[in-house]
Amino acid sequence: MGTSVQVTPLSGAYGESPLCYLLAVDGFRFLLDCGWSDLCDPSQLEPLAKVAPTIDAVLLSHPDMMHLGALPYAMKHLGLSAPVYATEPVFRLGLLTMYDHFLSRWQVSDFDLFTLDDVDSAFQNVVRLKYSQNHLLRDKGEGIVIAPHVAGHLLGGTVWKITKDGEDVIYAVDFNHRKETHLNGTVLTSFVRPAVLITDAYNALNNQGYKRKQDQNFVDALLKVLASGGSVLLPVDTAGRVLELLLILDEYWGQRNLKYPIHFLTNVSTSTIDFVKSFLEWMNDSISKEFEQNRDNPFLLKNVSLIINKEELEKLGDAPKVVLASMASLEVGFSHDIFVEMANDTKNLVLFTEKGQFGTLARMLQVDPPPKAVKVTVSKRIPLVGDELKAYEEEQERIKKEESLKASRIKEEELKASHGLNAKASDPMTIDGSSSRKSSNAGSHFGANVDILIDGFVPPSTSVAPMFPFFENTAEWDDFGEVINPDDYMMKQEEMDYSMMHGSGDGLDGKIDEGSARLLLDSTPSKVVSNEMTVQVRCSLAYMDFEGRSDGRSVKSVIAHVAPLKLVLVHGSAEATEHLKMHCAKNSDLHVYAPQVEETIDVTSDLCAYKVQLSEKLMSNIISKKLGEHEIAWLDAEVGKEDEKLILLPPSSPPPPHKSVLVGDLKLADFKQFLENKGWQVEFAGGALRCGEYITVRKIGDSIQKGGAGSQQLVIEGPLCEDYYKIRELLYSQFYLL
Amino acid sequence: MASVAAALRSVGKRAAPGGDREDGDRMVITPLGAGNEVGRSCVHMSYRGRAVLFDCGVHPGYSGVAALPYFDEIDPAAVDVLLVTHFHLDHAAALPYFLEKTAFKGRVFMTHATKAIYQLLLLDYVRVSKASVDDMLFDEQDIHRSMDRIETVDFHQAVEVNGIRFWCYAAGHVLGAAMFAVDIAGARVLYTGDYSREEDRHLPAAETPPFSPDVCVIESTYGIQQHQPRDVRERRFTEIVSSTVSQGGRVLIPAYALGRAQELLLILDEYWSNHPELHKIPIHYASALAKRCMAVYQTHMSSMNENIRNKFGCSSNPFNFKHVESLNSIDSFHDVGPSVVMASPGGLQSGLSRQLFDRWCEDGKNACVIPGYVVAGTLAKTIINEPREVTLANGLTAPLNMQVHYISFSAHADFPQTSAFLGEIRPPNIVLVHGEANEMARLKQRLVSQFDGTNTNVVSPKNCQSVEMFFRSEKVAKAVGSLAEKVPNVGDSVSGLLLTTKGFTYQVMDPDELRVYTRAQLSSANITQRISVPYSGSFEVVRYRLNQMYESVEESAVQESDVPALVVHQRVTVSRDSETSVTLQWSSDPISDMVSDSVVAVILNISRKGPKGVRAEEAARTKEETERMAHKVVHALMVSLFGDVKAGQEGELVISVDGDVAHLDGKSGDVECENAALKERIETAFRRIQGAVRPIPLSAS
Repeated sequence: MGTSVQVTPLSGAYGESPLCYLLAVDGFRFLLDCGWSDLCDPSQLEPLAKVAPTIDAVLLSHPDMMHLGALPYAMKHLGLSAPVYATEPVFRLGLLTMYDHFLSRWQVSDFDLFTLDDVDSAFQNVVRLKYSQNHLLRDKGEGIVIAPHVAGHLLGGTVWKITKDGEDVIYAVDFNHRKETHLNGTVLTSFVRPAVLITDAYNALNNQGYKRKQDQNFVDALLKVLASGGSVLLPVDTAGRVLELLLILDEYWGQRNLKYPIHFLTNVSTSTIDFVKSFLEWMNDSISKEFEQNRDNPFLLKNVSLIINKEELEKLGDAPKVVLASMASLEVGFSHDIFVEMANDTKNLVLFTEKGQFGTLARMLQVDPPPKAVKVTVSKRIPLVGDELKAYEEEQERIKKEESLKASRIKEEELKASHGLNAKASDPMTIDGSSSRKSSNAGSHFGANVDILIDGFVPPSTSVAPMFPFFENTAEWDDFGEVINPDDYMMKQEEMDYSMMHGSGDGLDGKIDEGSARLLLDSTPSKVVSNEMTVQVRCSLAYMDFEGRSDGRSVKSVIAHVAPLKLVLVHGSAEATEHLKMHCAKNSDLHVYAPQVEETIDVTSDLCAYKVQLSEKLMSNIISKKLGEHEIAWLDAEVGKEDEKLILLPPSSPPPPHKSVLVGDLKLADFKQFLENKGWQVEFAGGALRCGEYITVRKIGDSIQKGGAGSQQLVIEGPLCEDYYKIRELLYSQFYLL
Repeated sequence: MASVAAALRSVGKRAAPGGDREDGDRMVITPLGAGNEVGRSCVHMSYRGRAVLFDCGVHPGYSGVAALPYFDEIDPAAVDVLLVTHFHLDHAAALPYFLEKTAFKGRVFMTHATKAIYQLLLLDYVRVSKASVDDMLFDEQDIHRSMDRIETVDFHQAVEVNGIRFWCYAAGHVLGAAMFAVDIAGARVLYTGDYSREEDRHLPAAETPPFSPDVCVIESTYGIQQHQPRDVRERRFTEIVSSTVSQGGRVLIPAYALGRAQELLLILDEYWSNHPELHKIPIHYASALAKRCMAVYQTHMSSMNENIRNKFGCSSNPFNFKHVESLNSIDSFHDVGPSVVMASPGGLQSGLSRQLFDRWCEDGKNACVIPGYVVAGTLAKTIINEPREVTLANGLTAPLNMQVHYISFSAHADFPQTSAFLGEIRPPNIVLVHGEANEMARLKQRLVSQFDGTNTNVVSPKNCQSVEMFFRSEKVAKAVGSLAEKVPNVGDSVSGLLLTTKGFTYQVMDPDELRVYTRAQLSSANITQRISVPYSGSFEVVRYRLNQMYESVEESAVQESDVPALVVHQRVTVSRDSETSVTLQWSSDPISDMVSDSVVAVILNISRKGPKGVRAEEAARTKEETERMAHKVVHALMVSLFGDVKAGQEGELVISVDGDVAHLDGKSGDVECENAALKERIETAFRRIQGAVRPIPLSAS
């Protein structure tokens, strides 16, 4: 009867590998997140590779590597081509995260798993949604509604609600119920008994202290090091948790008027903050309120300098400072380089704010006791010189020639084809206009091509005397002269738009910082030089939990509150998953599943339900009683059929009398208050309520647990007396009789 | 004021047959302002006991209470949600009054950008009108307090309040402008507010909702007019400005501080950048308010169009103008030589734009460009007709020599846009608001002919004139839980609780599962009652007396062995607990309560009097007796109901009414009759009489 639902983890089950799950809802295949670890190992994606082409839609929940890192690679190499859904910040910050990741990689290796263009094209088709926006899927997904909801954790972080036929499947990983400096807590707890809840067991074994105390400890630890002349490195993600840290630091520095410099160093730091500044409506209520009232934008960050390359940092020398640098894993990126420099000095502190990904340098340093020394690879990209340069140039020349040859052939064919079809479309001006715009982006990768006379126009290689294509304009004549098409003289709206767009350069997804652009567009041939070295870890290492995830206790209470019919646990170490599984199975009647990677589980709801239409005639005879948010009534009806649909009609014969039902939710404490207000002497005695001298009211049975089925059992007892009937009358008044 | 009902019959849904229309299915839409006028937009909509108010503006042509919408037509306390489309005064400025000075206690929503600008705009409004108006509607404190009550909603974000679901689409017009779609129990209303389907320099075009609303409340500001293409307008504008200044004249552009002004500044700034010869001529922008709002414009990039967002992505913020200087007051303005001044208010009512106008209007070299829609009753409206003389602010009359140009940059839809918009969403009911009576009437006529033959109703109610529509929405219930274990066949009966949530969804369920499906908000209860009645006699006596009194008295099966117990009518258990009392136990419901009361009475009577019961043989005899009695009573009652009733054979009754003859079987209640209506009536009457005459059946299945 219900909607068929299957879940298959492709990664991130019984372990802390990146998140990636396959969810099939009545045959429509969702890919929930598409994560990759900072190691970028394609072998991790094998399970995904098997199913990628069959995916119908991708839902992203957070803008970090663990949730969307593999998207460009999967789009490029694994045949993933489904539309992607994400919130605006997840889209923007995710894009920047991928840029940063690529640039960090590219600086130290000949990284070829994906390029910036792949990142752009992967993100080009992202459908951007707002929180609580109900998006109806079409075609194959007809009838399915997806809606992102606030998850906390990262800016734009999403709890996905997928609804079909009134049944909800909720995908909520890495949520945070606590309100933070820049984010609201998740709204997960407001969902009503979903059919399936997919959540993580990541933090099931961790418990956190109070946020304020935590913030204070954090700042104290930094100040201690700074005061003693050391520097602090905070390895952070590109655009996720770092925002929270920046706010905490900026605010504290502002309050105390501290002078130690704070640097935020990623390849995209300035654009990150620029975009974040315009995402105020995605942050918590107090930030948007502050802006509405006073137009204060907390991300103006008065005490933080945003830098995008290391040279600026080096200018400052050894003075005490705080550096927030990407990546959090210390695998690559600025944090890696800075760590190597800072590790040797005992005054310095490397403070981890999140648990390192499995198998990364950060994880190695987080073990207790920390290693005395670690082996690292230090790599650098240097420009080519001498023979190498020469060889490179020759190689490029050859490639270029081949390419132009190919291009010209293609162009030629296109020309022929288009000429044959429609003379108008092959107007030389049009060719020039359309392709020059394209190539201005792409051109920089190839450098100037001498063979190309005019951008986009390539003479056929076979032609002896190349010339521009010429098309004779055959004019039509009638009695009044040449036939005029008025459209040719219309002022076109589009032209104006082009002129307005002029100067906006690559229109796609805004900006890469100048520095990064320089890096990118720098066509100077270069190579990567690396050497392995051992770094003595003398600096102090510390770990503080600023991951912004709900801790174990809260996760349990959230699950108990949401009370899904079926619970699927993913992404957590084996112990954590087992622990949470046992806990949930023990304390409530819900079905808990914890699938292994590539294990498909069927969580189709066995809830029975069918739909019936209510006929007008029936409804006009029903008198409902209003009870809080609900109205209830007793219904006696007969089933009929109308247009192939079931319809309830008024019963043809008088229905048999039904057992009367008392509806209401009585709390003894409330009832006590109520009786006291009526002037009764009431007290609690041994779990029962003593009313007056002799009468007791008790609640019995343990079916009153949250979400549990069954009805309340109340007992009123006492000797025959007037009070008894009065109390009973008052007790009845707390209920509705149907 | 008596509200004239322009009753519409809904076309999209099955219309109810006349007569039995339920009040609940009636939707009433009443413009409290902006009905056949422009200004004080405020439209009230009620349906199924829920009420929504769209917009809450003042009329810029009036002041004080006269500028308010007709709030006394409605009960503010009954309004659940107030939705404000954008920050313009004629759409939002009555909000502090409505929040602070009326009984309204619902929730208010607007978009983030609207809320941020709303505060600034209203503070400015209060400051400006303090100078000229005596009866202020509200003060700064009211505005600050209103900020705490306003909630924000993002485009497309769906919100549900008390069964009202709503969300909004981008409307163009100004930054943050939205059109609201409201869904109450399946009936959808779209309120466009002010909208424009033309993309301009910074705003996106209005979205077209992907569904067809049942009612569309749409603005008709421009009636059947058609805008010039944007580039023509822009060229005219820049030409007038540049020719005036090159001839040594001054250009006054009266504009509302926010909205169009930003668009015009973008145009001027670009034009100046492209024409170096103009660089020495200053562009002044006389609005401290707009300066303050710049932060909002610079932040809410996401509400603007792709074009501006890309510019933002690539270079400095486009709202950092290079050639525009801001001007704080007329005192700091050095009025020497040609200049371009953009000043508020747009209607030239008062303030800086009026001061400059008064100063410049006599010089023929000067020009005044009116860039947007002007409201009737303002000076700007007057000078569009180029009168010979105008009245200055100080009451004197002066000749009007200044050139007056009217170039509409106003981002309102024109006729082609309106008609295309309605053609795409195809609402069966169209309500026109926000337009002057004549324009509206023309638009109505055009729309009626456009949608001729498609069963589309177009109405243009006046203020306080209600439009009524009837929707017969399909009610679909979901049967859940144990009740739904198998899908029933035709003819099966279904009994259970019908639960209606505030979102108008229906569920049918077993009473015991109520708790599960309402998330423990509601639950059913069982009350067990235990009462001890003092009695020290023999339990045998009790047993005897009960046996005499009740049809069914059984020995209890489940009670502990040594305690004698009886079950009366399978409901009330009577047991001997101690020497001095008997205990009655039952679970509450009206019948059991009644039985238990009588049992108590019986037991109490034992101790008082001797036995006075009916003998068993008598009971057997009485059975026949009762039958006869019952038949007599039935006969008598039938006579009183139908008049001509004769007793037939074997307890049959022959009833004749107006020539129709019916035969009623007095035992089974079967009726034979040609006339179905009569048959039904007799059946009903018989059923009721039986219910009254015969004892209540005690077994509830």
